[in-house]
Amino acid sequence: MKYTMFKLLLLLAVFPVLAQSGVKGTVIDAITTETLPQVQVSIEGTNFGVETNALGEFMLTENLKFGEQILTVRKNGYLVRRLPVVLKEGQMLDLDKITMEVDVSAEQQAIGLISLSDNEVSGDDDDSSSYNVSGLLSAGRDAFLNAAAFDFSATFFRPRGLDNANGKLLINGIEMNKQFNGRPQWGNWGGINDVQRNREFSMGLSPNEYSFGGVAGITNIIMRASQERQGGRISYAAANRSYNGRVMASYSSGLMANGWAYTVLGSRRFGEEGYQGGTLYDANSFSASVEKKLSDDHSLNFTAFYTPNRRGRSTAITQEVFELKGRKYNPFWGNQDGEIRNSRIREIQEPIIMLNHFWNISEKTSLNSNIGYQFGTIKNSRIDNGRLRNPSPEYYQSLPSYFLQDENPTANDFANAYQAQQLFINDGQLDWNNLYQSNTNSVDGISRIILQNDVIEDSQLSANVILSSQLTENITFNGNVSYRGLSSENYAEVRDLLGGQGFLDIDNFSVSESQDGAQGSLPQSDLQNPNRVVKEGDRYKYNYEVDATVVSGFAQAVFKYNKVDFHLATNLSQTTYQRNGLYENGNYPGSASLGQSEKLDFSNYGVKGGMTYKVTGRHIIDLNGGYYTQAPGIRSSFSNARQNNDVVSGLESEQIQSVDASYIFRSPLVKARLTGYYTGFSKGTDIGFYFVEDLATLGSEDGNAFVQEVMTNIERRNLGMELGLEAQVTPTLKLKAAASIGQNVYTNNPDLYLTSDDFAGEELRFGDGTTNLKNVHVAGGPERAFQVGFEYRDPNFWWVGATTNYFSNAYSDISNLARSGNFVLDSDGLPFNDYDPEIAAGLIKQEEFDDYMLVNIVGGKSWKIDDYFIGFFATINNVLDQEYKTGGFEQSRTANYRNLKEDKSRENGPVFGPRYFFGNGTTYYVNAYIRF
Amino acid sequence: MMNTNKITKIFTLLFAVVALVACVNDDDFTAPDLTVEEPQLEGDVITIDALVSLYLQELNDEADNLGIDTGDTQAIEELRDGFTVDLTDNTNFVSGFVISSDEDGNFFEEIIMQNNAANGSAGVRVLVDVSPLFTSYEVGRKVYVKLAGLHIGDSNGVLTLGVSTGLEKISPALREDFLRRSVEVATIVPNEIAIGDFSESLENTFVKVNNVQFRKEDVVDATITFAGEATDEFDGERILTSCDTNASTILSTSTFATFKSLPLPAGRGSVSGVLTRNFFGDTFNLSVNSRAGVVFDSEDRCDPEVLECDGDAVSGSDTVFIETFENINDEDDLDGTWTNVNTSGGSTRFILDDFGGNQYLRISGFNTDEDPLNAWLVTPAISLDSNTDEALSFDIQAAFDNGKILKVFITTAYTGDPLTTTWTQIDANIPTGPSGGFGDFVSSGLINISCLSGDLHLGFLYEGADPSATTRYHIDNVRVTGN
Repeated sequence: MKYTMFKLLLLLAVFPVLAQSGVKGTVIDAITTETLPQVQVSIEGTNFGVETNALGEFMLTENLKFGEQILTVRKNGYLVRRLPVVLKEGQMLDLDKITMEVDVSAEQQAIGLISLSDNEVSGDDDDSSSYNVSGLLSAGRDAFLNAAAFDFSATFFRPRGLDNANGKLLINGIEMNKQFNGRPQWGNWGGINDVQRNREFSMGLSPNEYSFGGVAGITNIIMRASQERQGGRISYAAANRSYNGRVMASYSSGLMANGWAYTVLGSRRFGEEGYQGGTLYDANSFSASVEKKLSDDHSLNFTAFYTPNRRGRSTAITQEVFELKGRKYNPFWGNQDGEIRNSRIREIQEPIIMLNHFWNISEKTSLNSNIGYQFGTIKNSRIDNGRLRNPSPEYYQSLPSYFLQDENPTANDFANAYQAQQLFINDGQLDWNNLYQSNTNSVDGISRIILQNDVIEDSQLSANVILSSQLTENITFNGNVSYRGLSSENYAEVRDLLGGQGFLDIDNFSVSESQDGAQGSLPQSDLQNPNRVVKEGDRYKYNYEVDATVVSGFAQAVFKYNKVDFHLATNLSQTTYQRNGLYENGNYPGSASLGQSEKLDFSNYGVKGGMTYKVTGRHIIDLNGGYYTQAPGIRSSFSNARQNNDVVSGLESEQIQSVDASYIFRSPLVKARLTGYYTGFSKGTDIGFYFVEDLATLGSEDGNAFVQEVMTNIERRNLGMELGLEAQVTPTLKLKAAASIGQNVYTNNPDLYLTSDDFAGEELRFGDGTTNLKNVHVAGGPERAFQVGFEYRDPNFWWVGATTNYFSNAYSDISNLARSGNFVLDSDGLPFNDYDPEIAAGLIKQEEFDDYMLVNIVGGKSWKIDDYFIGFFATINNVLDQEYKTGGFEQSRTANYRNLKEDKSRENGPVFGPRYFFGNGTTYYVNAYIRF
Repeated sequence: MMNTNKITKIFTLLFAVVALVACVNDDDFTAPDLTVEEPQLEGDVITIDALVSLYLQELNDEADNLGIDTGDTQAIEELRDGFTVDLTDNTNFVSGFVISSDEDGNFFEEIIMQNNAANGSAGVRVLVDVSPLFTSYEVGRKVYVKLAGLHIGDSNGVLTLGVSTGLEKISPALREDFLRRSVEVATIVPNEIAIGDFSESLENTFVKVNNVQFRKEDVVDATITFAGEATDEFDGERILTSCDTNASTILSTSTFATFKSLPLPAGRGSVSGVLTRNFFGDTFNLSVNSRAGVVFDSEDRCDPEVLECDGDAVSGSDTVFIETFENINDEDDLDGTWTNVNTSGGSTRFILDDFGGNQYLRISGFNTDEDPLNAWLVTPAISLDSNTDEALSFDIQAAFDNGKILKVFITTAYTGDPLTTTWTQIDANIPTGPSGGFGDFVSSGLINISCLSGDLHLGFLYEGADPSATTRYHIDNVRVTGN
């Protein structure tokens, strides 16, 4: 260790060096004492900074401000340093050596991401992947973003109520958000953390040199070989959240004398089960980048990564199940031959390769051209129970509440409920043997129940050109042109016949309606190939392709002046989608399912702008605003893509408008940011799938259907404020606080209709065709989050921190159908004669979850031994083992007044109660590493 | 830069570590060993016959206690309803072969088992709150049922094992305790019997009836399905008639069966299924395990030849003949113009009756002790010579129905004696009434007789036998119209 900050200050005061005005010094790594190149050094409150040279030296002489100032020293992967300095005219302040510590928060954030990917693999719906934007955030910016990235992310908290489809994730400038749902697939680059430390983050609508982005900001992960810190790193992590262990080794050559640079990484994450039962984790990751500096002006980089991973999923459970089995319960697994087998496995194998060319056309202008290709599969397994009853151990008919559903249960009902309860408590897992038995006992040897995969087989080509030019001293221009072409095949595949010889490819739900039985046309998955008996690996059930292309352009101008900065940007894009059915579905014969759908075409544009006004160096006001339209994702465009070519009726591009205003305060002691924001969404679309028992207007016998719920014209509003505050009370102790208070509500009554093969060709609407969502909260984690905490960094290279986090105002995801006309209508389409508006209001009141408090502790230490740098850090989350709900949703299975009233008034609990996600109890994560 | 050798070493070490500690179960599961072992039963095994005897013994004891004469079948029937035998202290297991399957949804949460694999002669139904059951208890599987903790009694009219006096379903949690699977899976050979041989003791056994067909109006005049009609609630009941004996029974199919929407076959052949009773327990039913239980291998039907005049019947404006039985004091008033005779040696014939101010003729074999009981009712001569487009109709009400035993004929050459007359049957709709009460008056439908001429006589033939065929019929509004 060289100097503490105080010693530095002392030095500054005692030995001012007389020379020209300015400040100079050398930046070194605190542990390795290596000099650090490409460190950005600037005086806060000015626009101008310098970078250190290859020897780590810098000298800042232009655009100085004199007096007490704060010198900011910043490098990707290191903790930012803010040094109070006193600059005097005519004096060259020599700071000698400035040390920087490696920022392990990237690692810490990765832990946050682990929680994210947990959420991602939860849920019944394959598309309920994590909406969390925390992974987009870049740590180290301010106290609020740190809190959001590290401590709030484990609990579905969404900064500003935004979904990660509202932001963009880029790798080397190439957009990674999936066209299917607009969200990044985190699993595609899991386990390569060591080579993803270089990140650039633009918050909200602030300017970004690569892309127009969205209201949730833009993160660009730089995976250029030449940008990685030279050296190797080996780490081992142990945890009990999602994986049990992780080994990772990486080596980067740095830019070598011959102009080459390379980086390689290999890692493995593994675990038989995480915090929740049966959630296996089996992931290998490989990454390699090679860069050649062709000349002073040209560099060519090649990056490839492949992160095949396999994870066992878990799901939301009802209160009854939770009370019987606890929050670790996962109904998806069961024992087979004494080993845990999970029926819901997600496998992702989507390697990405890219080629990046960097060209400095002139000193002021650079051109970056990228081409990327991604291909592979995402497979989600599940049980296809044919026409057998759902074998889930938590099927409603296996739970005590089912036996006690009558108003006055008999002694026998109680006996049965007790038996069911005991069986569920003592076992309660999937009975694989029983499934095998169903197949081996079948008359014809054909399986009655199998394991299937839902497969998405994508190949996507991306190409873009990004121009950046400093037009004048004050004006920078950025622009891009980009193309993405996706070809996506979607099909079901037989994964395991579970002991049988084959499986009859028909829709068993349509058999009893078919005049020709199972052999008839109605139940056929593919009329072109009827009554097929499929084997393992065969496609069946549904099979279609979607082609999607996006062409877009973006232009931005950034103006920087002494007192004020401002920026303006615009973008234009053209998106097309087309489905091509490869199967002719029996319920939708002919071109209704086979062949090409209508071609969807969306033209979108956006404008955004903002300004930063520097009242003084300490007081800054920042304003941003924008309006843009966004094409709906593929998922929201076709109402039932697995069965037919139907396009959502009333489909429109979503319109988003947003403004935010921040006040930023920076003094040597305190850094604070207070932001108020508003984001309005309109013309949104959402599709859901579920089984419902009580559809109105279809008659009392026919209210059952598996439906697609299409909601269009959704308007909603996110309004709130966020605060981040940190105080460096001593050089070693930092206190921090963060708060976010928001309200995310629907602001209109969206249109709602249902489709189903039980009423093919019809769009079922109720009442005036809308659903009463106005003022209902959009579910998505707590709307309010608060944090206080501290961080202590000892000069002897250890540190410890703790935060207390408080969350409130989290709401359940409501059943849209139960707020539509269906709620008040009897099976004949007329209103219920016993409808009581007061009781009704109680039945559909949105559930607010209990407040909860999470205490997290983090700490670490590092050493230097010979040429090796050894360190570890550990976190303990939810130290108090708080039990809490992170989210939940109402089941739409019963969605009318009478049935809901009956179900909710059952003395022994509802049969179709809401399902909840429960947060983890106390968990740990320990990581030890060696750098060399 | 670090020397390559060192790096290689480190990485090698690393991969060794990974290989050692980091394996996760792959998803390559092999089928588990599902071999069944003969269960170790903690009690003796009894036959279904013994179980039935045990039940009947207890029933008779109960009858004695209540002072009911065991020969009084009606009183015994009433006693059976709601009577169960508590088997709590019984340490035995009853063994049997499964004959029902829920694979196609026609049985639900119940297993029917019989005493022998071939030609079962006694059976019992076991209620289990589990679906599906065929995956463990497939047809032919020998099963032992633990009796301790169960009750036996009539439920839906058939002998049933269940829990408590309400004969509830065995809870899923206790299924494996009560039902033990043997390794034996036998081939079930149906008991080939005639519809007339259906008896209480054969309930819950697997039977086959040969040479049967569905009703003409269900499969020739229309195409109705096993249980997919709008009017089918819970079960679709379809009448099967024997070509040999004319006896009929009901094929009952659940509206949850996968084959419910398939059309009934039009020809004739055999039906193999479980002999059971309808939901209310009052008539025999056959229930098949799958559509394959109905094998109609002959296209030819065995419908009686009926009068068929070309063209649809026309409701003419002239009334050629009408008899509403409102203007007579008793049936004797018809003698002389009508023929109303018992032709089987008994005394029962059609008599005048009234209800709610409406008079009609009635016949019933109930408590007549006549077996057989054949009675004819023949109209006076109805001249068809002065009209065209003649059509015939009448109304029938069926009550206490235990089989369709009324037929309607015509002749234009009546000899005065129905037994010596050559009759032609007509295709009239004879309703089936409830077994325990009265149906409604139902029209025969308008029957075209325009191709006939001369003097028409219409004859109703009642073919009863007390106590097996005693359906009561009311006849009214015999009418011939023309233009």
